[in-house]
Amino acid sequence: MSGDQNIWGHEGEYPCTPPENPPEEPNTPPAREPGHPGASPAPQRVQGRTKESMESIKELGASPVPEVKSNIHCLTIVGQIEGHLVLPPQNKTTKYEHLIPQLVALEQSPEVEGVLVVLNTVGGDVEAGLAIAEMIASLSKPTVSIVLGGGHSIGVPIAVAARYSFIAETASMTIHPIRLNGLVIGVPQTYEYLDKMQDRVVRFVTQHSRISEASFRDLMFRTGELARDIGTVLIGREAVEKGLIDEVGGVGQAVNKLKSMIEEWKLRNGVPVQ
Amino acid sequence: MILYTPMQLELVFEGLEEMQHAPTREVNIDGVPVLIQDTGPGEGKVVRLLSTDPLDYLRSDLYPGAVVKLFRCTQTG
Repeated sequence: MSGDQNIWGHEGEYPCTPPENPPEEPNTPPAREPGHPGASPAPQRVQGRTKESMESIKELGASPVPEVKSNIHCLTIVGQIEGHLVLPPQNKTTKYEHLIPQLVALEQSPEVEGVLVVLNTVGGDVEAGLAIAEMIASLSKPTVSIVLGGGHSIGVPIAVAARYSFIAETASMTIHPIRLNGLVIGVPQTYEYLDKMQDRVVRFVTQHSRISEASFRDLMFRTGELARDIGTVLIGREAVEKGLIDEVGGVGQAVNKLKSMIEEWKLRNGVPVQ
Repeated sequence: MILYTPMQLELVFEGLEEMQHAPTREVNIDGVPVLIQDTGPGEGKVVRLLSTDPLDYLRSDLYPGAVVKLFRCTQTG
């Protein structure tokens, strides 16, 4: 561990360390192979071990990027999307503080050529959900989303954020108005604030899907559909008919679509030299 | 904070008052700064990654909730 710290230190303090290099050189080539000769030859997701990568920077002047077995990265968004408050442990949560840097890594990593977003979420925090949705929408790599089970409330902007979206035949999406939690002061400003927050969601969804603002708002405020709330539940094909989602399909179609998008993307950007 | 979910908020927030937060500490695991929570003898749970290297966030052994062996950790800060 102290070795790591030294290496971090050396990077800045000693731009060249010739006296230290020769004794370490014999170790370097095997260090690039999987640790032991007996390691399985099967493709394996090699973790970017900092020690090795730092050694490689020192010895070869290049940082090894982790080998990945698939050029598609699967991002799963499940349960509640946790915001700035840690939710009690009975909630399954998706944590934005982990997902956001992960999306940065996906954008940056040359091995990842496409991102498949798998959703089964009951919604959650507006800020965190929109942050994830904006990150997905602004990725320069092909993205495909698939809603399985449910993609409710704040799951809707995340589902439409991908370039192309799928929904399983039986999956559902609930569209309903935003409500304030906690202390609500009964003044007109509260309503305006709420309306502003709602507009953020409506704007994002209408900009990233084929649905019009009027028809999304109509779904949002419809009465008589939900037992405990106003709003609408769209199931499978209905979401496609409303223009929210692009196609009804399963994992197979989603992966095929992503593969064909990757091919197109490569042609457009020129094939990167591997 | 606005929770936008069709789930009943009573269910989501149930037990919020009784929630206890075990103390967390900053450690280094293979050079990656991580916030962990001690869960048992020789074991801890990752609470959050503190690294600024995005590729650390793609590691399958370091994600929030992952169990880590404490012998791999070195105390920092």
